[in-house]
Amino acid sequence: MTDISENTEVKVAVEAADMFVNSYYKTWNKESGGKELSHFYVKVNPESPLKPDITINGNIVEDPTDLESLHRSQPSKTHYEVEAFDCQVVNTNFTVGAPETLLEGNPTGKKMSILVMVSGSVKYADAEETRGFVDNVLLVPNWDITKKNEKEKKKWLVQSQTFRLVL
Amino acid sequence: MLQRAPVAPRGPRNASPSVRGRGGIQKRNKAGGPVRVDRDGDLVMDATAGGDKRRLGKGRLEGPAPSRGAGRGRGGPSRGANLGAVKTQQAIIRGLETRQANVLESRITTGSTTLQIDGLSSSKAASNPDGGVESLLAFLERKASGPNKNVKIKKSHKKGDSVFVTASSEDIAEIQKLDGFTFAGATLGIQARDSPSSASRPDKFGDKRKDEVSSNAMEIKERLKSVLAARYNGDLKLLNLSALVQDPGLREMGVFDGNTTTSKIFPALMVVCGGLFQTRQEKQDAIVSVTLADNDLADVSDVTALAQTFPDLQHLDLSRNRLAQLSNFDAWGAKFKHLSTLILTGNPIETQLATLKSDIMKKYPYLEILNGIQIRTPQEVAAALETAKSPIPIGGPDFRDVGQVGENFIRQFVVLYDTDRSALLANFYDAQSVHSLSVNQNAPRGHKNSAPIAPWAPYIKQSRNLVKINNLPTQMTRLHRGSQAIQKLWSALPATRHPDIQTQGDKYLIECHALPGLADPTGQSVRGVDGLIITMHGEFEEQNESPGRALRSFSRTFVLGPGASGGQPIRVVSDMLTLRAWGPLALPKPPRNPQANTTIISTEQQKQEAMAMQLVERTGMTPQYSALCLTETGWDLEKAFIAFTANKDKLPADAFITNSAR
Repeated sequence: MTDISENTEVKVAVEAADMFVNSYYKTWNKESGGKELSHFYVKVNPESPLKPDITINGNIVEDPTDLESLHRSQPSKTHYEVEAFDCQVVNTNFTVGAPETLLEGNPTGKKMSILVMVSGSVKYADAEETRGFVDNVLLVPNWDITKKNEKEKKKWLVQSQTFRLVL
Repeated sequence: MLQRAPVAPRGPRNASPSVRGRGGIQKRNKAGGPVRVDRDGDLVMDATAGGDKRRLGKGRLEGPAPSRGAGRGRGGPSRGANLGAVKTQQAIIRGLETRQANVLESRITTGSTTLQIDGLSSSKAASNPDGGVESLLAFLERKASGPNKNVKIKKSHKKGDSVFVTASSEDIAEIQKLDGFTFAGATLGIQARDSPSSASRPDKFGDKRKDEVSSNAMEIKERLKSVLAARYNGDLKLLNLSALVQDPGLREMGVFDGNTTTSKIFPALMVVCGGLFQTRQEKQDAIVSVTLADNDLADVSDVTALAQTFPDLQHLDLSRNRLAQLSNFDAWGAKFKHLSTLILTGNPIETQLATLKSDIMKKYPYLEILNGIQIRTPQEVAAALETAKSPIPIGGPDFRDVGQVGENFIRQFVVLYDTDRSALLANFYDAQSVHSLSVNQNAPRGHKNSAPIAPWAPYIKQSRNLVKINNLPTQMTRLHRGSQAIQKLWSALPATRHPDIQTQGDKYLIECHALPGLADPTGQSVRGVDGLIITMHGEFEEQNESPGRALRSFSRTFVLGPGASGGQPIRVVSDMLTLRAWGPLALPKPPRNPQANTTIISTEQQKQEAMAMQLVERTGMTPQYSALCLTETGWDLEKAFIAFTANKDKLPADAFITNSAR
């Protein structure tokens, strides 16, 4: 088993977290973003051992596609703002749901699971006050990605999310 | 350029603007020389006109006023005198007796914040070393100030024989009233100027015209006030702005002569009206309904000001205008979010309401009645209001523990982090455990919360907030791997006290669920092992030596996994801490019930208001008569209308809105 250097580990993780943080909340802010939200998550698939586990304000969201209706329920001028985030690699050799060929080694850091913790604020258009939120997300590799569609598809997908308004 | 030359030699000393503060003036009053000049001013005043009486009469354009002690005071009984009959219309006039009227005056009398003051050169003070400017300014400030009002001149400069002063528009209005006052033997001429540079107009332009302008403005304002008062119904909290063009009061003023139309008079009405209230809440309480019926409006741009003045309006009647499509409302933008009733009867748009309904509902999220048809139930509106605060309802913690691992860990963590961080490390952390912390210095903390924020210094050098930390070496050094490194960091962080989790559980929200795919410390499972992810939101108090409590809000996420054989049974894989200024934790909403009663009452009231407006609409009766009619028919709109039809010939003329074109 070839381990990756700590250098690569941090670099890849920060890039993945940065990419996620910069696109995910913009999608929530976008009036037409509802349909795109499910693209950030691992798919619900009875054959895959990898299942999405999403909790928003204590409410369990069974399927990422249900987020579309949550998105619809928020006022059109909702604005999420990321004020701080941090990330750590949880497993440098994450293999749940990986094809057999990818089980061994992880020299380029494409097989990690990455924990991202976000602290930010959200203003729902009609509400008087800005609220604070904390979001915890576990990013895992998108096994579906092949050389052909690498550019269109997200490299990392959300497997676990615990979002909550904290103010 | 050339024109400036003659002015320059008069003295650059005087031409340079000087910034003055209140403090300096008071000091001066107590000091020697210039005081005498001030006193001169006073003496002359008193000698010629007998003090307060004159000051009131001349300065405030109120005609003869009773001389009462400190007669400058606003809101004294003297104000009530010229309100007369108007006074019965309680709510709208309430504002008149308050200081807020000053703002109105200043808005109406002058938009300028600069005044030109003439007369100093012929005063005794002119022989002072500074030409008397200082004493003049002190005089103006003192005379213009009242018991509740501290007038302050921000800037001044002398140009030729005139002195130009700049102050807030409110203060300027007060100073302007000193026009014609006697200062050190000279009569002062005070007039508004757009800016000092445009001020060199002929002097004879001065006094007379100024007086006219000012008194005209005051008169207009007073007339607008009575127009508003006559159109206000305090019982229904309704402001009737229908058929403005036919208003006898406005016609008498001649405001509709020539090209002047609703678009001209409306903003002025709104300014006068808005000025009557001290706070948004006061306004919201006094006026819940407005009718703009019969104003020939093709779109709302002529009445844009309504949205600024009454953003919280609940009932709006736009009957019998020329509104044809939704875009005719664009001038109001996203205003009137709290609209509950909208009446569009007699507009071309009426025929399309069925197709526009959903757009209108979207535009007005709490709209209940559109053209007399209920489009949302009160329950739906109440739910929508609740949703606005958090579209995604705040539920209780989702705590899906596995064999009490999470619970046990948190209980120990909260206690040991405060009392024995080494023991905590020994129990749960190993050489591979990772910890980092980040500080969110921009976190919101609630508008009611103004507690000072303790300095972030102890944390900021270790903050791994990746919004700010963009270079790899720092990202790496602020990631602490292994109990030794973590120990080193924790010993440098302030001591803390977390609330007791047993007795103060409401200070925490803790959630957890299983997390797949952790590295197996035994190396046996290629696909990894399952763990637990726990997120804890809460607060702690820092045990600082510095005085005052330093309370912080935090969130902390742990990934727990099985330990290696021979080590601890449970190990911390990841420990991430994020800190922010303290704010009250958003707790799950208890099932609503306690508020049910108040909601019913207010919706009942709202319904009646809306109903009365509809009856006004259908019958042309005044709101008072409409309300009366509804009360007698048990608030049944149809019965009330039948009663009206049966009796309308017997009703007195004053039962009807005179202006309505029927």
